[in-house]
Parts: sequence; C-alpha cells; structure tokens
Amino acid sequence: MSTSLNDANAVISTALPRSRSNQLPAEPVTRIRPSRFWESLDFAELWTQREVLYFLMWRDLKVRYKQTIIGAAWVIVQPILITIVFAVFLGKLIRVPSDGVPYPIFAYTALLLWTFVSNAVLSSSYSLVTNAQIITRVYFSRLLIPAAAVGVRLVDLLIATLVLIGLMIYFQVPITWNVLMFPVFVAEIAALTLAVGLICAALNVRYRDVGTMLPILLQVWMFLSPVVYSSSLIPERLRVVYFLNPLAGIIDGARASLFNLPFFWAHIAISALVTFPMLVFSIHLFRRMESSFADDV
Amino acid sequence: MKPIIKADSLGKKYHLGRRETVAPTLREALKDSLKSAAQLIRGRNRSDPIVWALDDVSFEVQPGEVVGIIGRNGAGKSTLLRILARITRPTRGLADLYGRTGSLLGVGTGFHPDLTGRENIYLNGAILGMNKQEITRKFDEIVAFAQVEGFLDTPAKRYSSGMYLRLGFAIAAHLEPDILLLDEVLTIADASFQKKCLQKIKDASRDGTTVLFVSHNLTSVKQVCDRAIHIHSGQLYDDGAPEAVISNYLKSISH
Repeated sequence: MSTSLNDANAVISTALPRSRSNQLPAEPVTRIRPSRFWESLDFAELWTQREVLYFLMWRDLKVRYKQTIIGAAWVIVQPILITIVFAVFLGKLIRVPSDGVPYPIFAYTALLLWTFVSNAVLSSSYSLVTNAQIITRVYFSRLLIPAAAVGVRLVDLLIATLVLIGLMIYFQVPITWNVLMFPVFVAEIAALTLAVGLICAALNVRYRDVGTMLPILLQVWMFLSPVVYSSSLIPERLRVVYFLNPLAGIIDGARASLFNLPFFWAHIAISALVTFPMLVFSIHLFRRMESSFADDV
Repeated sequence: MKPIIKADSLGKKYHLGRRETVAPTLREALKDSLKSAAQLIRGRNRSDPIVWALDDVSFEVQPGEVVGIIGRNGAGKSTLLRILARITRPTRGLADLYGRTGSLLGVGTGFHPDLTGRENIYLNGAILGMNKQEITRKFDEIVAFAQVEGFLDTPAKRYSSGMYLRLGFAIAAHLEPDILLLDEVLTIADASFQKKCLQKIKDASRDGTTVLFVSHNLTSVKQVCDRAIHIHSGQLYDDGAPEAVISNYLKSISH
C-alpha cells in the first residue's frame, strides 16, 4: 500500500521543478518482485497514468480520421446500414414484432449498442498484440491499453446516439422521464464490454486462437441477445436462462427507457449481478496475466 | 550513502518451449490439441526446457552513478534492464528503486507513422511518463535537440531513420527521471549525434540522474561511465572501474 502511495507522489512531484538534493525517499518508489497470485489493482497508479489513457484514445481517433475520407461519418454509417438490412428482412418481410415501436428505430437502438459491444470487444482483444512494441519497451499499467480501445468505441457510441435522437424526432417517439435511465444502461454496457474485452485481450496474448474465434462467438452472442428481435418472442420457460446473458437485460432496459415501455427490474438486476462480478474477475485475470505479457506477446 | 537501486538476487527463468513436431495423423493432431488444451488449463508444460537468463544477480547503485553494463549477446544484460524497467517480472529476487524511472529500451516507442512529429512528441512523451504540461514546457528544447524543426508537421513515416532516432532519444532525454535506463539505443546514431547523446548523459548524471547503460560500444562505456558491470551467462561476473572490467572482459572473449 505504502509503495503505491509513494508511486503516486513520485509522479505527481515531477510536475514541479525537481529539486536535485540527494535526499532519497525512505521507502522505495518502486519495488520489483516476482508476480503473485493476487495482484491488487493499484488505483493510485491508474490515476497518475490517466493521461496515457487519454493519449492512447486520442491517437486512435486521430489516426482513424486521417486515413478515411468521410471520417466520423463511418461511426454512424455502420449501424444505419445494418439497420436497413434488418428493417427490410425482419421488419418488412418477416414482420418481427417490435413491441409497438417502429421496427427501424427499435432495431437501431439495439444495433447501436451492439455495434459498440462488438467493435469494442474486438479492438480491445487485439489491442495488446497491436501495441506489442509499446508493451515490450515501456512500463505503464497494461490495463490502459484495452481500456483505451473500449473508450474509443464509447466515443463512437456517443456520436451514433445523436442519430438516434434524430430518428426519435422523425418517428415522433414521445420522450419521457424514463430516458434518464438510458445513460445508466450505457454505463453498464461499457462495464460489461470492458470485462469481456479484458478477458479476451489477456487470453489473446498467449493464445491467438481467441482472436480467431472471436468474430464467430460475437455473432452467436448477437443472436442470443434481443438485438434484431424482441425478447418477448422468447418462451416463458426459457427466460430464466435467456436473461443470464447480461446483454439481454441491458438492451431491454435501454429500449424501455427510450420508448416508455415497462422496466423488468428482475432482468435488469440479473444483468447487473452478472456484469459487475465479471468485471472484478476480468481485472483479476488481467492483472494475473499482465506480468508475462512482455514475454508472450 | 544509501543506494538508489538495490537489486537482490534477481533471477529470470524462461521456458524455451519444445520444438513442435508436425502431427502425422489426424488422430495425433487431435491428441496434441487436447494436450495443449490441458496445458491451457494447467499452465505451462512442466517438462519444457528452461533457461535462467538472469541468475542470482545482486548489486547496488549510488545516486548519480553512471553504470555501463557489458557482456556478450544473450548474456542477460537486456533482461536485467527489462526487469528494472518493469517490462517483465523477475522469477526470483527483489529490486528496490528509490526514484522515478525513465527507460529507453528502443527508440521511438509508440511513434505512430501517420501522426506528425508534433503529435508523436506528445504521444511518446505521455507513454514515457510525462504529463501534458511537462511536454509543452520542454517541447522547444526537445525539437531543438532532435534537429527536426522543419518537420514538425510531417508524418513520422516520412522521417529518415536518423530523424526517428534523434526525436526518440530527445524525448526520453528530456524526461528527467531520477533513474535512466538505456539499452543499446545509440548504435544506429551517427558519430556527431552519438557524441551529443553521450554529453547529455554526462550532463544528466552531473544533475544527479543515475544512469544504467547497456552497450557493446566499449569506448563510450569508458567515456561516460563511472563503473561497469560485466554480465556473463546470466550472472554478475565482474563489477568495478570501467577500465578494469573492460580489460577483463576483452581477455575473457579472446579465449
């Protein structure tokens, strides 16, 4: 504990002009030792390195917009195109019920969230491998690398949400106080995505199979979640199992908050009870595997 | 005086991994993949051949000392530096560092080819541990040291390797850490820039920075270091005044 406090002081103090006295701190600034089973998360260290998170996100956003012609528009185009495809096939041809909400906006809401989950899980999974050069040469909390990947996609999600607001006005969806719950579900989906991203990122360093399998698994996850259909289609007896997928409760909740539908608090509670322990587990797994990233990547 | 670096019987074990043989039949292949799945659950294969890249290395460094680390290829010099830079964990032992550490284990770490020189200075500086204000304050100095004034808005992919190196070193040199770890970074620099860098190392040490410096260039070790450490097959073989350690080292390789 005392080490981490010293660590924080050491980094903060550098913002001031350094006094070159030969006064060394009583406690080591850094103690290097073999990795242990339980590596606690050093919040003080994460806080001092928050600018690294910012610059990693800044780099990815900047690079992306330098290489594309329509830049930020891609963030919106992807969910819109997918929405059109599903609106034609499921909405018009098969006429999937959408809880009384126009199908395009019903689907777009979830596709927006799903696009975030899918892109963020993929990019955070590959993030450690693509940043191998940094990992093998500089130390900072490795957690920041997949976290930055999720952060970049969160920025995308916020931009795509602006289109959602436009669609809601176009389809004349009345906005109620329920909408205040929407940011809560966005926060929860970000936590879930970070958890899955951290697990996949850590495993992908040692077993590249994870990265290869991931697109398929994500596809399965999408159809197991109420993205392009309504969870009301799920038979009653299967719901207990169905809602163990935390994404189901989150997407339903997000829709309920926008379209003034009833909240199913039991489903929402289950999703939180799965998401947050999973986040704790993922951080533990990541910290546990982190010490060997530089050797394995 | 109290040491700024205290390394206590550091050891690093690496699994070499067995050479994979191609499975002759599908059955064998399946068996192999089951085996590796089992390994995934159990952890590493216990029968892997291992090597101790670093074995029971202990030493202390006083504040302001410039220590050259020499040894043959594969002796464990870089492993030692990577442990002190927290890139990798030791398998055994402890090391205490009583100061902020800056490391330059490769030049231009994290430089993005599509970002401009200016953008890369901020990115690289942040990754190395500077905050934004610090980088802004030292920006002009960094640019002047690296001699890239005319190329600040040019993407780094159009930089020559010399410019890359100069900018990378300049950023790290302005980090002003208490402990600076340098690994073999000056080998590709031209003579005049090398001289400038060695001068910068000397200046930093006069200001109280402790420097650990891995190099194959024995002349520059002699020039800037107060002390040299010779590492041989993972062990600390010799430690003392640069002239003595270097002449012993040269004797040992002529055999």
